[in-house]
Amino acid sequence: MTYDEYLDGKPVVITAALTGGVHGKEAHPDLPETPTEIAEAAAACERAGASILHLHARRENGERAFSTERFQEVTDAVREATDDVVIQHSTGGTAASNDLRHEPLRTDPAPEMASLDMGPLNRYDRLTSENTRELVSSLHDEMRERNIKPELEVFNDGHLNESLAVLEEFEEPPYLNFLFGGGTTSPPHPRNLVNRVEGLPERVEFNVIGLGRHQLPMTTQSLLLGGHVRVGLEDNRYYERGELATNEDLVARAARIAAELGRPVATPAETRELLGLRGR
Amino acid sequence: MSETCPHLEYREEGDGRSFDVARAFCTVTGSFVQPMRADVCNARHGLDPTTDCEFYVAPDGGTAER
Repeated sequence: MTYDEYLDGKPVVITAALTGGVHGKEAHPDLPETPTEIAEAAAACERAGASILHLHARRENGERAFSTERFQEVTDAVREATDDVVIQHSTGGTAASNDLRHEPLRTDPAPEMASLDMGPLNRYDRLTSENTRELVSSLHDEMRERNIKPELEVFNDGHLNESLAVLEEFEEPPYLNFLFGGGTTSPPHPRNLVNRVEGLPERVEFNVIGLGRHQLPMTTQSLLLGGHVRVGLEDNRYYERGELATNEDLVARAARIAAELGRPVATPAETRELLGLRGR
Repeated sequence: MSETCPHLEYREEGDGRSFDVARAFCTVTGSFVQPMRADVCNARHGLDPTTDCEFYVAPDGGTAER
């Protein structure tokens, strides 16, 4: 979690966020939505170097789905298509009821990891994903019961405060995910990541997301600070200006940059050891 | 109980695009909508298109907020 760890060649965990819950094929014709499409992208990303796959579920027409049944279809297809990659389910869901937010945790088997949004964030002009402390706690309780490692989604400094206040409740190492972009995420600038990392307790592992055109620079900077990276079409649709990306291309680029910078890409086994995961 | 938006249609083609499965299309903006917005259009999860969508216009006239 430090520049010294970069110098020591600490392995980097690459997470691929394949689909998301906001945009769909209306924004990118090849964004994977069906279980089959997600599984194909998952297999390609595993081959390219991703050791964690962040999954969302959709309806047949691409619209959001939160039910255990839909997540089961996706996770079954991904497990079938991949060898050893870590599966992480999203528990995010603007406007979805608290009960629905728990459903992605209830597949059989349970995912090894799940996202945990640490506070409110705005969507569009009139929606807010509230993510109350009560909901965060109840999701974390169920994750503990099912031996699911939480990834704490830190959209801004307020969420960092919330995370640090309850850090003792999380098993070692706490895994924090920093989002940089627009709206209620953190302002996307390298100095803000440096500042964020300097204030972290030593036992924390951190991951970085940069939204849109900030994906490449912010994740690259994370490599230099001993952090991990998330890439994929959920966070960024373009490989470069005007050129739509694939999930596989974004993962391959992250792996290539990491290798060039002296950070070996973590295998799923190394990822499990680093983050204290229960196994697939 | 909110109602589905009167400006919502499900289309396989429109806005210069085509899809295998019909998707949510907004006749106010003339475009397919994002999956998250489609929950507003369909008044799911307690959402109400008349208050939660910035593009909504009353069916009897008015102007969309842009």
